[in-house]
Amino acid sequence: MVATVRLGTDDNVNAVDFERVSFTYPDSDSPVLDEATLSLPEGAFVLVTGATGAGKSTFIRAVNGLVPHFSGGEFSGRVTIHSRSTLDFAPRALADLVAFVPQDPAAAFVVDRVEDEIAYSLENLGVDRAVMRRRVEETLDALNVESLRDRSVRTLSGGEQQRVAIAAALAPGPRVLLLDEPTSQLDPQGAEDVLAALQRLVHDIGITVVLAEHRLERVAGFVDLAVGLRRGEAPVTGEPAEVLDAVDSGPPVTRLGRLVGWRPPPLTVREARRMAHGMHLTAPPQLEVASPGRPLLAARRLRAGYGHAQVLDGVDVHLAEGEIVALMGRNGAGKTTLLRCLAGLHRPESGHVEIDSGHPVPGRNVALCPQRPESVLFAETVAGEVAATLKAVGGPGTVNDSMDALDIAHLHDRHPRDLSAGQRLLVALAAIGAVDAPVLLLDEPTRGLDRDSKTRLVGFLRGWAQRGRGVMLATHDVELAAEVATRVVMIASGEVIAEGEPGHVLGDSPVFAPQMGRVFGAGWLTPEQVARSMMVTSDARDDGRARTTS
Amino acid sequence: MHPGAWLLWALSAGFVAISTTNPFYLLPLLGVAWVVHAACHRSGPQARSWRIFLIFGVLTICTRTALVVFLPDIQLGSVVEAALEGLRLAVLLTVFGTYNTVSDPFGVLRLAPRRFHEPALAAALALSIAPRTIAAVSTVREAQRLRGIEIGRFRSLPALAVPVLETGMEEAVVLAESMDARGHGRGRRTRYRPERWSRRSSTVALASAAAVAVVVWALLRADPSLAMSAFPITWPRVSPVVLAAVLVLSLPAWLPQSASERTTT
Repeated sequence: MVATVRLGTDDNVNAVDFERVSFTYPDSDSPVLDEATLSLPEGAFVLVTGATGAGKSTFIRAVNGLVPHFSGGEFSGRVTIHSRSTLDFAPRALADLVAFVPQDPAAAFVVDRVEDEIAYSLENLGVDRAVMRRRVEETLDALNVESLRDRSVRTLSGGEQQRVAIAAALAPGPRVLLLDEPTSQLDPQGAEDVLAALQRLVHDIGITVVLAEHRLERVAGFVDLAVGLRRGEAPVTGEPAEVLDAVDSGPPVTRLGRLVGWRPPPLTVREARRMAHGMHLTAPPQLEVASPGRPLLAARRLRAGYGHAQVLDGVDVHLAEGEIVALMGRNGAGKTTLLRCLAGLHRPESGHVEIDSGHPVPGRNVALCPQRPESVLFAETVAGEVAATLKAVGGPGTVNDSMDALDIAHLHDRHPRDLSAGQRLLVALAAIGAVDAPVLLLDEPTRGLDRDSKTRLVGFLRGWAQRGRGVMLATHDVELAAEVATRVVMIASGEVIAEGEPGHVLGDSPVFAPQMGRVFGAGWLTPEQVARSMMVTSDARDDGRARTTS
Repeated sequence: MHPGAWLLWALSAGFVAISTTNPFYLLPLLGVAWVVHAACHRSGPQARSWRIFLIFGVLTICTRTALVVFLPDIQLGSVVEAALEGLRLAVLLTVFGTYNTVSDPFGVLRLAPRRFHEPALAAALALSIAPRTIAAVSTVREAQRLRGIEIGRFRSLPALAVPVLETGMEEAVVLAESMDARGHGRGRRTRYRPERWSRRSSTVALASAAAVAVVVWALLRADPSLAMSAFPITWPRVSPVVLAAVLVLSLPAWLPQSASERTTT
C-alpha cells in the first residue's frame, strides 16, 4: 500500500456521521430512517442489524450516497463520510473513500474476467498502471482468489462470486467498506474465511467495515460495534451485546442465555462456554422421529454434470413420509444440481429418480423453491400469487390456508415486489407450497430471513412433514438444519460422505457444528433443548437436596 | 483475441450478409457463424444464447414469408423473395449472436476513447441485455413450471414476462449503482493490462478487410451473383471469388490460440 499522510487520525475521528437523517422511499408514506443520529468511529467493525424490512439496506446505501442519489425519495439531514457530505458528493466522487458490495454480487459485476473486474475501480480512479498491477496482485491474494483470475465471473459459484466482489471493492484501498449480507451465499467455512479476512483489514490497516447480516451466529464474534434499526424508531448504537438484546433475538447462545437467565446473555460460543462451565446436562435427547413412513422419493447412483464438468458422482438419497432432510456441503458440492435432478429439471447421465413410484413431474408430484424465489412472483397482490398456483394445479387448498401456513395473511393485498427480501421469500414459498405435492424441495431458503421469519419457515416445514409428506432442503445455515432437520445428508465433491441424525452428523464437525454443539458437546442442537435439560437437571438436584434434608 | 479484431470481424460478416440475397453465399455464411461460435465461444451462460439468436433468425424467415403468403394475388416469386430477405436478416442475427458469444461487449467499451465513453457504455449495456434476458427467461420458466404453471399458453404470458422484466430492471439498477459506487465516470481514467494485439488478431483483421473489399468490388461491378432473381425464379450463379471471401471469414475458428493469449474459461 502507498503510505499516505493522514491528517487528524486520532482516536476521535469518525469515519461516518449521521445527523438527524430521515428518509422516505418514493411511493411510501412512512419513513424508513427517522431522525437517525449516530457516529461510527474509524477502524470499527460494525454490524447493522434489525428485523427484515427495518431498513438495513437503506442504511448501508445512505452511507455512500446511493440513497438518495439513486433511490430518489425524500431525504433530510446530513450524512458525512470522512467529513465529505453525501449531499455535496455523488457516489462516484466518494469511490476513493468508500466501497460497496451489494446483496447479489452477480448482478453488480461489470466486466467479464475476474482480474479485470478487480482492476475496474482502479481504472476509474485513474491509478497509475504500475501501481495498479501491484494492487491487483495484492488483492487477489488477500481474498484468496488468485486461482480464479482468468475465469469468467459468470461461471463462478456463489461463494467465489462473493469473494471476488469483495476483492473488487477492496482493490482501490477504501477507508470504509460497506457490505450487504456478505455471507448469505457462503458455506460455513467460506463465511468464516471472508469474515476473518475483513477482520484482518480492520486490524492491520484500520479500515472501517460496516455490514448488514442476519446470520448473527457467524458475525457476532467479529464485530465490535452494532447499530440496531427498528422501523419508525431511532436506531440504537453500542456494544453488540446490548444492541442485540434490544432489537434482535440474537444468535442461539444469546437466546439460550435469555432462556436460562444469564445476565448479560453471552454473544459468542466462547462466552457461553465460560458461563456454562461446571454445568451438568443430561445426555442429549434422542430425536423423536416416528419411524419413517412410506418412502416418497428414491434416487439411485445419480451421476450428472454440465458438459465436461462432472458434478454428481453416484449419489444415493431417499426421503420418506414425515422426514425433513437437510442437504449440506461446501459451495459447489453439487447440492443445487442434486435438487434439480430430483425435481426432474436436469437429466442425470445415469441412475434414476423415483417419486411416489413414478417419474418426477415438476408442479405435480414435486415442488421446488428456487434459490431466487423472487423469480416466480408476477401477480399484483400476495393473495393473487397464491391463487395463481391453485388455479394452475387445481389443488384442493384455499388461498387463506396457504397464507395462514406461513402466517402472512396480513400481507394479503400488498404488492409482492414492494416487500422486503425476507417477506418475498415467504410469499414465494406460499405460492410454491400451494402445489401440495408429496415432495417439497428448497434451495437455500434462508437468504434475508430474520429470526421471526425463520420461525415461520420452520413451522411451515414441520407442518408439511406432519401431513405425511416430505421435505428436502439444501442449506448452509447450520442452525436451521439443527433446528428443523430429522436427518442430515452431507455432500462433498458429488458424493454423499455422511448421513444420519443431525446430532451425529453435525455434532463433531468443526465446521458444521451448531452453536449448542460447540458449547455443550456433540448431540446438542437448539437452545430450547438445552434449556429444557437444564431445568430437568436442576429440578432433579433440588429433589435430591430436598430428600437429604428431610 | 483482441476485442477490436472481433468487432471488425462481426462488422465485416454483417456487411457481407446484408449485401447479398444469394442463398449460396448466405448459407455458407451461416455455417461460418456457427463454426466460429463453436470454436471460439466463451464459457458461461452467454454461450447458450447463440441458439436463441438462431431461433429468432428462423422466426424472422417464417414471419416474413408468412406475411407475403396472406397477400391477395400471391405469386411464387414474391414468396421466394420474402424468404430470401428473411434469410438475410436471419444470417445477420446469427452473426450478431456469434459476436455476443465470442467477445465481451465490455472489452470494446474499454477500447473506446474517453470522449466516447458514455455512448460506448450505453452500447455495451444494450449488448449485454440480450444474454441477461435470455438467462432470466429460462430461470423463470423453470421456476413457474415447479409451481404447476406451464408457460406456453397466451394467458400465462404475465407469469413469464413480469418476473423477467422486473428482475431485469432490478439488475440494471444494481449494475448502475455498482458502477457509480466504483467511480465510473470520474474524470481521468487509466487502463489495466491493455489487451495485446496478437498476430492472430492481425490475421483475422486482414481477412475481414479482404472479405469486405471483395464484396465492395462486387457491388461496384454490379455482380449479378449477389442477388438471386425471383421473377422469374432462377438458380443464382456463384462467383468463386465472393464465395472465397465468405469462407475466409471462418478464419478465427482455424487459427490456434497462442499461449500468450489469456484464456477466459
